[in-house]
Amino acid sequence: MAAKGGAAPATYSPSPTTHKKKRAPIFTDVDWVRPDGRDFHHCRPAFLRTGAVNAASGSAYAEFGNTKVIVSIFGPRESKKAMMYSDIGRLNCNVSYTTFATPIRGQALDNKDISAQLHKSLEGAIMLDTFPKTTVDVFALVLESGGCDLPVVISCASLALADAGIMMYDLVAAVSVSCLGKNLVIDPVSEEENYQDGSLMITCLPSRNEVTQLTITGEWSTPKIHEAMELCLDACSKLGKIMRSCLKESASTSQE
Amino acid sequence: MQERVNEEDMVTPGEVLGKGTELKAGKGAYLSPHNNTVYASLTGRRSLLPPSPESPDQRPTVEVIGHKAHGPVPEPGCVVIARVTKVMARMASADIMCVGSKSVREKFSGIIRQQDVRATEIDKVDMHSSFRPGDIVKASVISLGDARAYYLSTAQNELGVVSAESMAGSTMIPISWTEMQCPLTGQIEPRKVAKVGA
Repeated sequence: MAAKGGAAPATYSPSPTTHKKKRAPIFTDVDWVRPDGRDFHHCRPAFLRTGAVNAASGSAYAEFGNTKVIVSIFGPRESKKAMMYSDIGRLNCNVSYTTFATPIRGQALDNKDISAQLHKSLEGAIMLDTFPKTTVDVFALVLESGGCDLPVVISCASLALADAGIMMYDLVAAVSVSCLGKNLVIDPVSEEENYQDGSLMITCLPSRNEVTQLTITGEWSTPKIHEAMELCLDACSKLGKIMRSCLKESASTSQE
Repeated sequence: MQERVNEEDMVTPGEVLGKGTELKAGKGAYLSPHNNTVYASLTGRRSLLPPSPESPDQRPTVEVIGHKAHGPVPEPGCVVIARVTKVMARMASADIMCVGSKSVREKFSGIIRQQDVRATEIDKVDMHSSFRPGDIVKASVISLGDARAYYLSTAQNELGVVSAESMAGSTMIPISWTEMQCPLTGQIEPRKVAKVGA
């Protein structure tokens, strides 16, 4: 995005360049209501379940509003013969979208980029040296893309890894914040993501208070970044609590 | 333990189990050096093991017993059950199917080298008289090996061929530590037999 020089750093004015796509100026209206009626700083209610896929070592299903993701974990299993020896384990991530995931049918989205981001956020949390020479395969399938896909995939993947019994330092919770004009909206829907001027995604380990990945795109001013990061970290710790209670519930029902 | 598991005993990865000064980290837990706290690394039930009386360190060990163990992975020192797939002049390849008493979800590759077949006269070992393709062997993992396979060894009395099929097609009966006999035809075939039982 071309940055317009000379604008005061504390506020943002939309730049009238023509190469930005045409859109209605909804973001300048402070009283604008979000499509699903949420507060700007309100996340969507999360539905999480583990043990969705029987054939996999571990799996989880997550539904955040209209974003539905299912992740299955296979492993640790033998690495392919062509790979070199490694005395720590390997993580192999693959994110794919179903053809009916987006309103326009057909695969138009970039998968390798999202898979690489998923890999980066998970590898900091898994104890790779507990399974040397083997590979853990993470397959994420986005059934419906309703906005904020990557954070939901990351949180669901870490839940699936915990369900599979892979040793981890901590669960990984991910939240993203969109900047729409003067406002910061957390957990954007796909409509809000299309109109956003910038996005910030944090994946963190909630109980250890460590960040494994921080992704910022678009135009941000420093105070906005601080505010967005605080929002995200707070939401991540709440999401972490929800994930833990989901795991405990499914673990105690399976023990009976 | 037949008592009902209540949710307070369940821990999830990243939960604090205690301070490093009071507890030792066992299986399923780890000690974080920078703030000296013991965290859980698995989902499961927490259990506290008392320290052994003569150890100088009197801290109890905390362990997390996973409710769903993922398929076992061969580790050096464990005994595995494998099926021989190829027999060559200096080694035999085998597919590891069980680790200890649990079966693996997907097989791992292992090889038994000529010098690891038995403990005595290791340079005079004839691989074809020790194993045949299709034999089920009990072996121990000596090392992680290379990128392709784990290194296995049958150089103990209790290790070796546990079950084999004769050329006539029936399961053979072991008659000594080097021979097995087919019950249908009476033919004796050479194998490195495992000593099973008392």
